Amino acid sequence: MRFNHERSGDTLVVSASGRVDGSNASDFLDSLQGLFDPGDQRIILDLGGLEYISSAGLRVLLMAAQNLDKQQKSFSICSLTEAVGDVFRISGFDQIINVFPSVEDAKQG
Amino acid sequence: MTDCYKILVVDDEPDLEPLVLQRMRRHIRANEYEFVFASDGVEALEKLNADPTIDMVLSDINMPKMDGLTLLQQLPGVDPNLRAVIVSAYGDMDNIRTAMNRGAFDFVTKPIDFDDLKITIARTLEHLAEWREALSSRDQLVALQNELSIASQLQQSILPDIPPVTHGCEVSANMEPARNVGGDFYDYLHMDGYVGLVVADVSDKGIPASMFMMSSRTALKGAAIGLREPEMVLAEVNNQLQQDNPTFMFVTLVYALFNPDSGLLTYSSAGHDPPLLIKSDGAVTELPHTKGVALGIASDVEYTQESVTLAPGDTVVLFTDGVTEAMNADNQQFGLDRLIELFKNQPPESAAAANAAVFECVRAFAGDAPQSDDITCLALRRR
Repeated sequence: MRFNHERSGDTLVVSASGRVDGSNASDFLDSLQGLFDPGDQRIILDLGGLEYISSAGLRVLLMAAQNLDKQQKSFSICSLTEAVGDVFRISGFDQIINVFPSVEDAKQG
Repeated sequence: MTDCYKILVVDDEPDLEPLVLQRMRRHIRANEYEFVFASDGVEALEKLNADPTIDMVLSDINMPKMDGLTLLQQLPGVDPNLRAVIVSAYGDMDNIRTAMNRGAFDFVTKPIDFDDLKITIARTLEHLAEWREALSSRDQLVALQNELSIASQLQQSILPDIPPVTHGCEVSANMEPARNVGGDFYDYLHMDGYVGLVVADVSDKGIPASMFMMSSRTALKGAAIGLREPEMVLAEVNNQLQQDNPTFMFVTLVYALFNPDSGLLTYSSAGHDPPLLIKSDGAVTELPHTKGVALGIASDVEYTQESVTLAPGDTVVLFTDGVTEAMNADNQQFGLDRLIELFKNQPPESAAAANAAVFECVRAFAGDAPQSDDITCLALRRR
């Protein structure tokens, strides 16, 4: 699991790659939230490099989304591979977390 | 079980006492169970206060002086580790909902089917034994491994032992736990001539996940007794679970209701893979997806259902992602296609054969690669 991030104005784009499962889900959440600055109003998580996400991984994404929602900040994910997209679709998470095809779409959204 | 468990039966119907003693005589003679009786909630509380060795309560709802729902509310004050099973009328959703909120562990329906009651009692007591062990070792927990082994015992304790015996179908299920991850369970429900089937996967591991698993199972059984349509059952369970879920645990599951007379199977999925249909001629398809979010995390979400009529010899297979996401040493996933291929032109001869074939095939594929998730599979075949 690796992270890159890029900030422009009040938008933070985080790219994550690798695998998120029960063994690293809480590290994933800590690392992700560690990148947030108080000034960030919009967080976009680019999962284009993510090979696999388990249900434990979905749960920590939901925790991040809810934390940001409480602070009235926007959170979206984008660029899902087919396999990861299937996980979001089947679990119904695409109905409760904003999903966009690309970073650009997420910025527009 | 070597200890004799004491069960308090609370009902204002005087005929129940001789009936219970008669139908449970083998268990009583074998010193497995001892029964005590009370005719209303007030008398039940008196008996519980006077006798701290009572392990579980089986209570009717409608009774004079104090009803079963009020009694349920009082139980934690007497002993927080008591487990209560509620006897409810089929379809009585309001009372079932209240009983779930007040911590009922399980439900049986009226008129009491004693085979079902025996299974329910055995399961409740098995859970209680595991729960007590977990409590006694809680203070000694030094490593996560301990916690996980307790969690895995709790997980095993809620799995049903005996598949439903019905004229029109046969059912077989198995769950193979992974070493470190535990979240799958399955269940069979007997309701009013129907057979309910559940395969589920809880998002996390450890004791909190086991507790969530327990709540999910009880909520599902209660909702299934109270409501007929699977889509309504899932909406109800979702509302129950998401009311108090600060840690965002969730469960994905498929709930299917089978009518053994007509062969009609109606199912609804909450964020879970739909079942696989194997026709008796060897045609294999994934049944249509239904709309629904994993249970416990979002309020007021819609669930939909689909139906399929099984002809004699047709089989449906419900499974968790432990099957399709099993990995081999080359980091390849087992995948849905392999599962479909397994049965294509080779329809199983029994539910047990279908189930065994899935586990054998996954095992052969995974080889020496470590199992990273629980593997659960449940097959139903129409006779």
